Amino acid sequence: MPAIQPDAPALLDAAIDYLERELLPTLAGYHRFQCRVTVNVLAQVRRELALAPGQADAERARLIALLGHPGERDALSRELAARIRAGDLALDDPALLDHLRQSLVEALRINNPKWLGEPEPVEPERG
Amino acid sequence: MTEHEVFQHTLEAAIRHYLGAPGEVRALARLTGGATKLTWSFDAVVGAETLPLILQQTPADRLAAASELGGSRIHGAQDAALLAAAAAAGVPAPRVRFALQPDDHLGEGVVTDRAAGETLGRKINTDPRLAAVRPQLAAQCGAILAAVHRIDPTGLPFLATQTAADQLAIFRGIADACDHPLPAVELGLRWVAEHLPPAPRTAVVHGDFRNGNLIVGDGGVRCVLDWELAHLGDPMLDLGWICVKTWRFGGAPPVGGFGHRADLFRAYEQAGGGPVDPTHVRFWEAFGCVKWALMCMHKGLGALDTIPGATPGARRSVEAVAIGRRIEEPLLDFLDLITGKAA
Repeated sequence: MPAIQPDAPALLDAAIDYLERELLPTLAGYHRFQCRVTVNVLAQVRRELALAPGQADAERARLIALLGHPGERDALSRELAARIRAGDLALDDPALLDHLRQSLVEALRINNPKWLGEPEPVEPERG
Repeated sequence: MTEHEVFQHTLEAAIRHYLGAPGEVRALARLTGGATKLTWSFDAVVGAETLPLILQQTPADRLAAASELGGSRIHGAQDAALLAAAAAAGVPAPRVRFALQPDDHLGEGVVTDRAAGETLGRKINTDPRLAAVRPQLAAQCGAILAAVHRIDPTGLPFLATQTAADQLAIFRGIADACDHPLPAVELGLRWVAEHLPPAPRTAVVHGDFRNGNLIVGDGGVRCVLDWELAHLGDPMLDLGWICVKTWRFGGAPPVGGFGHRADLFRAYEQAGGGPVDPTHVRFWEAFGCVKWALMCMHKGLGALDTIPGATPGARRSVEAVAIGRRIEEPLLDFLDLITGKAA
């Protein structure tokens, strides 16, 4: 069990629930739109807390395989961007395209799962 | 007085000055949308008439930020001249009542008539009341774009020329200013650089012609809004941009989520726009995905002190940071386009 309870996802769930069920129905126009965007942003944070750690490990492993040497995820990603820009990699390289697609799909699972046509991930019960 | 009351009084003074007494402003409401530009809806009492009007305004303190993204932007008196030229070419454009002057203390902008109809892309694609006109929209957009590309640029010296290569340089600059190098963005910019097509001709290009910038009502497209990215360039840009998946608002068909490319292209050709090469339009759709990704990145990071032109310590709106999290949507669409997986 984490040291602090209720944990961060529980706080976010409560905040989202208040905004969506209680505040949003009372609003119109500009503030209704802003409130809806705020709910979306908090839901992104909620999904990021659940998904980002596993995604970062997987992305790092893919980058190491693609670039052929170890390193930290962000540094490897910058290196890949620089090598693409420099023309070191073919634009139709299947391993490159697979990696980019996988990274975008994983980010969309946090930022906007609907874009993938996938249902939002159901998370395991927290104990 | 509240900020809102001060604004209303300032606007009433402008209405009296340009349109006449009593100039009372009623039902003043800020509409959603617009990154740097604010859009207000209101009714103005002039003589015995009540006029439904729209003010599109860039407040003075936002003008610097507005000029930095996407090159030069069209404002105020320029916008008014452009809308008049568009109307003369047969484009359904907003009727201009007046352009703001510095003495008005409202920043830059124009006051236009408020056309009745729907602007929200998702509603245009789903509202049962628009079911009858929806199948006609793609062809109407084709005919309207042929008229846009016929606009006489003679009286519009402020329109900058932007070739595809110029646009690439602008967005390369935005990517470098953001200093947040993403492999997928770099792949996109390199793909664009290696696929730059020769333009069939140079024309007045709207630059942001898409679902969300159209007023749709009885009979279909009633008005084309938001001309601030207009320039002289490759007319195929406009045909590609309206197909970018972001502007389909959940609708399945590729043109704005409401229609088909064949209808758009055929109507464009029949209205005298010239022959359409679908591969050339696809280039602009793919480039459009990369451009939108960089606009999202820039907007999301926009008030960070590291971005040139940003105001140090400025707060970022929830809308701005949320757009920053939309980078991956068009980048995945881009990959689908260049690997042949896209619809």
